[in-house]
Amino acid sequence: MKKNIFRTIGTLGLTAVTALGLLSGCGSKSADTASAKAADTKDGSADAVYRTLDEIKESGTINIGVFSDKSPFGYVDENGEYQGYDVYFANKIGEDLGVDINYVSTEAASRIEYLQTGKVDIILANFTVTPERAEEVDFALPYMNVALGVVSHDDKVIKDLSEIGADEQVIVISGTTAETYLTKNYPDIKLQKFDTYAAAKSAFENGTGVAWANDNTEVIAFAAENEGYTVGIDSLGSADTIAPAVSKGNETLLKWINDEIVTIGKDNFFHKDYEETLVDTYGTEFEETLVVESGEVK
Amino acid sequence: MNFEIMKSYLPLYKDAMLLTLKIGWLGIFFSIVIGFVCALIRYNRIPLLQRVVGAYIELFRNTPLLVQLFFLYFGLPNIGISIDAQSCGVLGLALIGGAYMAETFRSGLEAIDKIQTESALSLGMNGWQIFIHIIVPQAVAVSIPAFVANIIFLLKETSVFSAISLMDLMFTAKDLIGLYYKTIECLTLLVVFYMIILIPVSILGSIVERKVRYASFGD
Amino acid sequence: MQALGIDVLFKGTNMERIIEGLWVSVRISLIAVVISIVLGLAVGALMTRENIVIKAVTRAYLEVVRFMPQMVLLFIVFFGSTRVFGWNIEAEIASIIVFSFWGTAEMADLVRGALISIPKHQYESAEALGMSDAQTYFYIIIPQAVRRLIPLSINLITRMIKTTSLVMMIGVVEVLKVGQQIIEANRKSSPNAAFGIYAVVFLMYFVACWPISMFSKYLERKWN
Repeated sequence: MKKNIFRTIGTLGLTAVTALGLLSGCGSKSADTASAKAADTKDGSADAVYRTLDEIKESGTINIGVFSDKSPFGYVDENGEYQGYDVYFANKIGEDLGVDINYVSTEAASRIEYLQTGKVDIILANFTVTPERAEEVDFALPYMNVALGVVSHDDKVIKDLSEIGADEQVIVISGTTAETYLTKNYPDIKLQKFDTYAAAKSAFENGTGVAWANDNTEVIAFAAENEGYTVGIDSLGSADTIAPAVSKGNETLLKWINDEIVTIGKDNFFHKDYEETLVDTYGTEFEETLVVESGEVK
Repeated sequence: MNFEIMKSYLPLYKDAMLLTLKIGWLGIFFSIVIGFVCALIRYNRIPLLQRVVGAYIELFRNTPLLVQLFFLYFGLPNIGISIDAQSCGVLGLALIGGAYMAETFRSGLEAIDKIQTESALSLGMNGWQIFIHIIVPQAVAVSIPAFVANIIFLLKETSVFSAISLMDLMFTAKDLIGLYYKTIECLTLLVVFYMIILIPVSILGSIVERKVRYASFGD
Repeated sequence: MQALGIDVLFKGTNMERIIEGLWVSVRISLIAVVISIVLGLAVGALMTRENIVIKAVTRAYLEVVRFMPQMVLLFIVFFGSTRVFGWNIEAEIASIIVFSFWGTAEMADLVRGALISIPKHQYESAEALGMSDAQTYFYIIIPQAVRRLIPLSINLITRMIKTTSLVMMIGVVEVLKVGQQIIEANRKSSPNAAFGIYAVVFLMYFVACWPISMFSKYLERKWN
């Protein structure tokens, strides 16, 4: 009798252990198979991670990854609604596709990961186009210009990166182009890395770094919104663009977004977007330099 | 899996591990000190102080380290108290660890039967002698398993330091994923390095546990 | 209050959102605890068996949980599972899986401890009284083991609630992330909100966990 009870419990338990063990093993033990699988996905095999345009339409919901702590591009207002330049565009996409939008809050460093694992259909999180990223995901046409910028405290404005002392630290956000650029070109500058915008800004305000390097749009906005900061370097590195991104190989969705950008560009959609979301921060003086309409970079 | 890439990441992971270990062990050292003092205060029922200590223990045992760190690192500067990231890490770990250690030590102390104190008194030992020769050795033996569990818990908790910009193992892995997108390689290294840190502690813990268990139970 | 940024909480639906965020944390923990208790009982009973294979497997499982930070497990399950198996797991589900995986190990260890702690003479006395094994198990062993287990498993709930602060790292919008969002959206009007908001989040966790751990302490005292 005792044996029977134990056997039943035992079988149950063993099943559980096996199931759980399988889950736990997925990172390390089965890692060898992962590269093979990843290769499959790139060839566009049947079990691709992404959803095609038709699949999205059919489900009635599109998952869009945006920032939730990056005002004025992607943030959540006091009523819990997503707002900002990126979100304004995302809303338009949802409207024209005729589907509901499920916003997914992302961090800079996990944007690629979200697309590669199919957890979102589109990333619209101020995603700068770079060749390295383009190997991992597919970018659509751009909708904004961007370069890097450096903002510092008023009492010690940094106008050139050479002014940064050997023991001074520059704040960057993990997974941004600013981090990549400084790591590659200025390996001697000490970086203090944060994983969220909220954390980086709080730390910068608290004076833990002499400067904060990020997209110039972002640092200009920060200096405009907060007293006591000056953008000493407003253009650093190459002039880049910001574009929506989809999972590698998701051609139907990519094509739809590209068509959409061209179409709505005819009505100057992104100018309207700028005037609705960014004008409070930047004024009108940056409108022409920032906005890219119909994917045509001037 | 690309072993070349993993090899090139090794120095970064090594630095991260050293940082994790440095902050981890400093924090653990202070948490033992705090825990011991607090346990003594509560054990001896020092008026007022035991209330303060009790409140501290409850507060820090019932809130997550991540939130404590956010408050220390991002909140306090708003009222003019700035602490650098490493000190914050050590402080946070010491505070949460202190609360856990205090409970561990106290339950160790209280596990010792009153009869023993009475017998020792009847043998003519004074309070201090009883404490040092009778209570502490047994209390230590009783606390060891929970103590080792606390240390492992605290070393694991260091993984949240990434949130305040400390380049620990977790952050290094996440950062490298964000920079070069080699997820599998980075996560594998992460697991390996945590094992390097924690397996020795775990093994050491079970050896010590076995030894003191011998000493503690006479029957 | 203005200077400390507490006022921000009363703007719009901020208060509601932050409480909702806390509920997300509590919900994940509760679901995971229920799963952990069920699986933990099974695995724990299994661990008292003298079978070498079972011992090795469960031991390995316990050790993995023991030295893998939960954050690492979260990353592995959330991102790794899609990469390796092509399963697309939502962040909240991934959290529940990881927390159950962790909780089951903890529970199993507790169950095993509780079962082993019942002295042999109780089994023997029961046998001497002519009880069957099933009777012994249900009338003698389980009631005692459960009394030892319940306070400890309630304690596990608070530990899980606390650990949920990590799930924001994989994109679950819980109380801490909502806190960050509020700080960020109001940076212009209340630059000092970080102090107030993080203090409130800190206290909210305390309010959620403290009564539960008090309850577990009370049960422990009452039953021992």
